Amino acid sequence: MQTKRRKLLQMLAAGTACYGPWTVNRAWAQAGQKKPLVIGLTMDASGQYGASGTDERLGAMLAIREFNDKGGVLGRRIEALHMDTETTPATGSRVAERMITRNEAAFLIGAVHSGVANAISQVAQKYGCVFFNTNSSSPTEAGRDCHRVKFVWDGNGTNFAHAIVKNAMRASGRNWLLLTNDYVWGHSTSKATRQLVEANGGKIVDELMVPQNTRDFTSYLLKIQQIKPNVIAAAVGGDDIKALRQQVVQTKLDKSFAWINNQQDWPDVYGLGPDAVFGVFGTTWYYRLDLPGVKEFVAKYQKTYPGIQIAVPGNVFYNGYVATRELLRSVEEAGSTNNLAVIRKLEGRKMGAVDRMQHYDAWIDPATHQVQQTIYMASYNDKPVEKDDIFKIQAQVAPQDVVDQAAPGACKLESYEATPSYEQ
Amino acid sequence: MDWLFNLLPHLLNGVSLGLLFALIALGFMLIVGVMEVINLAHGSLFALGAYVAITLMGWKMSYAMAFLLAPLLVGAFGMLLELCLRRTYGKDPLYGLLLTFGAALVIEELIRLVWGSNEKQLIVPEQFSGAMLVGGLLYSKYRVFASVAAIGMILLLWLFLEKTPYGAMIKAGAHDSEMVRALGINLPRLRLAVFALGTALAAVAGIVLAPIWGVRPHMGVDAVVPAFLIIVLGGVGSFWGAVLAGIMVGIVVGLTGAYASEWSLLSMYLLLIALVTFRARGLFGKKTALEN
Repeated sequence: MQTKRRKLLQMLAAGTACYGPWTVNRAWAQAGQKKPLVIGLTMDASGQYGASGTDERLGAMLAIREFNDKGGVLGRRIEALHMDTETTPATGSRVAERMITRNEAAFLIGAVHSGVANAISQVAQKYGCVFFNTNSSSPTEAGRDCHRVKFVWDGNGTNFAHAIVKNAMRASGRNWLLLTNDYVWGHSTSKATRQLVEANGGKIVDELMVPQNTRDFTSYLLKIQQIKPNVIAAAVGGDDIKALRQQVVQTKLDKSFAWINNQQDWPDVYGLGPDAVFGVFGTTWYYRLDLPGVKEFVAKYQKTYPGIQIAVPGNVFYNGYVATRELLRSVEEAGSTNNLAVIRKLEGRKMGAVDRMQHYDAWIDPATHQVQQTIYMASYNDKPVEKDDIFKIQAQVAPQDVVDQAAPGACKLESYEATPSYEQ
Repeated sequence: MDWLFNLLPHLLNGVSLGLLFALIALGFMLIVGVMEVINLAHGSLFALGAYVAITLMGWKMSYAMAFLLAPLLVGAFGMLLELCLRRTYGKDPLYGLLLTFGAALVIEELIRLVWGSNEKQLIVPEQFSGAMLVGGLLYSKYRVFASVAAIGMILLLWLFLEKTPYGAMIKAGAHDSEMVRALGINLPRLRLAVFALGTALAAVAGIVLAPIWGVRPHMGVDAVVPAFLIIVLGGVGSFWGAVLAGIMVGIVVGLTGAYASEWSLLSMYLLLIALVTFRARGLFGKKTALEN
C-alpha cells in the first residue's frame, strides 16, 4: 500500500513537471513569443457591490478578448487575472499588493466601492502601477484621493448632482431630505447635493445616514413620512439601494414623494421589476441610446455572453469595457507598458462621442485624471419598447456643464519624479 | 405629547423587526443548544430557504405551499449537513465551526451556480402587498404579515418544545446529551431531527424576510451575525431569552434608525457590549458551576 502511494505521488509529481505551469514558459521560449501581459482585475464578486463587480469584469473581459483576437498588445497576449475584492477596502489593498508583487500585473482595473478604489490606488501608487477606477463615483476619487497612477472612468456624485438638482427643485420643491450611505461615496455625493440645493435657494431639512448593508429601511421610511420633505435625494448604492427601492414600492412611498437617486447603476435595478424604477436618477450610458454603434455593442454583448441573467449591457459593464479598451489602446500608442509613458498618453486624452457611444466627446482631465463625459438624466419608462427597456432618458448634459469645479483644487497629483517607474 | 406620538411608530416598528430577528435566532439557538455546535451555515440555509421558495413558486406553486414545502426541503438538506458533522462531535469545537464555515461557503457558491449572482424576487401574495395607513403613516402590509408569521412560528415552536414528548427530549438533550443517551433515547436520531428543525426554521425566516431584504446569494451573512448576537444576548439556550433579546435588538435598531441613523447597525453591538458587561451570561443564561 505504502509503495503504491509513493508511486502514485511520484507519477503525480512527474505529471505536474511535464504539464504544470512550466509548460507555459517553455511554450513561449519555443515559439519565441513574448511574456503575456497580465492585467489584474480588482473587482468585487461579493459584498454590497458583488453584482456590479461581476458586471464590470465582463466588460473588461470583452475588451481583452477583442484585443487578443487581434493578436494582443505590443505582440503580447493579454491575460486577465481576477481576484475578489469583496467590497472591502482591506481586501482591495491585499489583492492589489499580491497582483503587483507576486503576479506581476502590468495594470490594475476595477472598483465600484470608493473605499476599495482608494485602498487599491494607494498600493498602486506605491509601486507606480497604473490603476483604472472603472465604476466608483465618489467625488473624492478624483479629488482629495487622486493619484498620478489612478484614472477615474465614471461620472462622479457632483457631476450627477449638477445634472439633476436644478431641474428637480423646479419641478418638485425646495425642501430636500438627504438619504446618505454612510461611507465616503455617500458623504461626498450628499455634500455636493447639499451645496447645489443651498446655492439654488433650497433647504436641506434633514440628512439620514444609512449604514452600509442596511436591509430594513422601515424606520427611515417612517421618519421621512414624519418630516414630509418635497424631495428625497438618495445617495445609496449596491444591494442597499435594491432593498430600499423594494421597500419604498411596498409602502407606496414612491407615489408620495419626489425621489432622486444620484446615480443608478444598471445591475442594482435590473430584474427588480418596473415598479422598482421610480424617481429621477443619473447614468452615463443606456443600451437603447439612439447612437451609432450602440445596437452593435448590445449584439456583441449578447453573442459573447449568451444566456446571461442581465440580458442587455448597462452602464457598469460599459465602463468596464471602454476603460479597458482605452488602456490597451494607450499602451499600443505608447509602444511600451512603462507606467509613465502610458500615463502621458492618458492625461488629457480625447475620446470621440461616436467611439464611446455617447452624445458628447469625452476627455481625461489632466489635473484630476477623471473622464469628463456626457451625463444622462433618466426616469422610469412608462412606454417600454421591450421588457428590458426600463429607463426613459430625459436629457443628456454635456460634460462641460457638469464639471466638478472643486476637484482640481482638492486633487494634488504626485509628480512624475515621485511616482516609481513600473513596467511588466 | 407630540414626542410620544412621534416615537410610537418607531417603537412598534422596532418590536416588529425584533420578532423577525428572534425568528432567525431561534433555529440557530436550537442547534447550538443540542449539538453544541455554532452553525455558521445557518445564514446560508436561511438564504437557501428563500431560493427554494422562489423556485417552487416558479413552478406555479402558491405562496402558502412554498412556505410549507421549502422549509421541509431545506430541513432535509440540513440532515445531510448533520451527517457530515457527526465526526466532529466530542472533539475540539473548532472542527464543527470549521465544517459549518466551509458548508456556508459551499452553499453560497451552490446558490450562485444554480440561481446566479443576481438579485431575485420572492413575490408577495396580493393580499399582503402594498401599504396600510397606521396613525397617519404608511406602513407595509407585508411587515405586519411577517410579524404575525414570526409570532405564530415562535408560539408553535414553544408549544412543540414544552408540550410534546419530542420537545422534552430536545430540551433534555440540550441539558445533558449523555444522560439522554443513557436513558435509551437514540441520540444520533435526536440530533438529526433537531438539526433538520433548526435548518427548517432558518428557511422559514429566509422566506419571511426575503421580500423585505431582497434575495441574493450572500443574504445569509446579514442573518447569521444578528442571530449569533441575539442568542448571546438572551443567554445561550434560553428560548424566551432569545425572543426578548430579538425584540430588544429590534427596538434599538429601529429607534437609532430614526433618530441617530448612522448608529443603527452599530447599536446592536453596543447593546451587546453594555449587557454583557453587567451580565456576562446574557439575559436568561444559567449560572455556571463556577458562579454558584
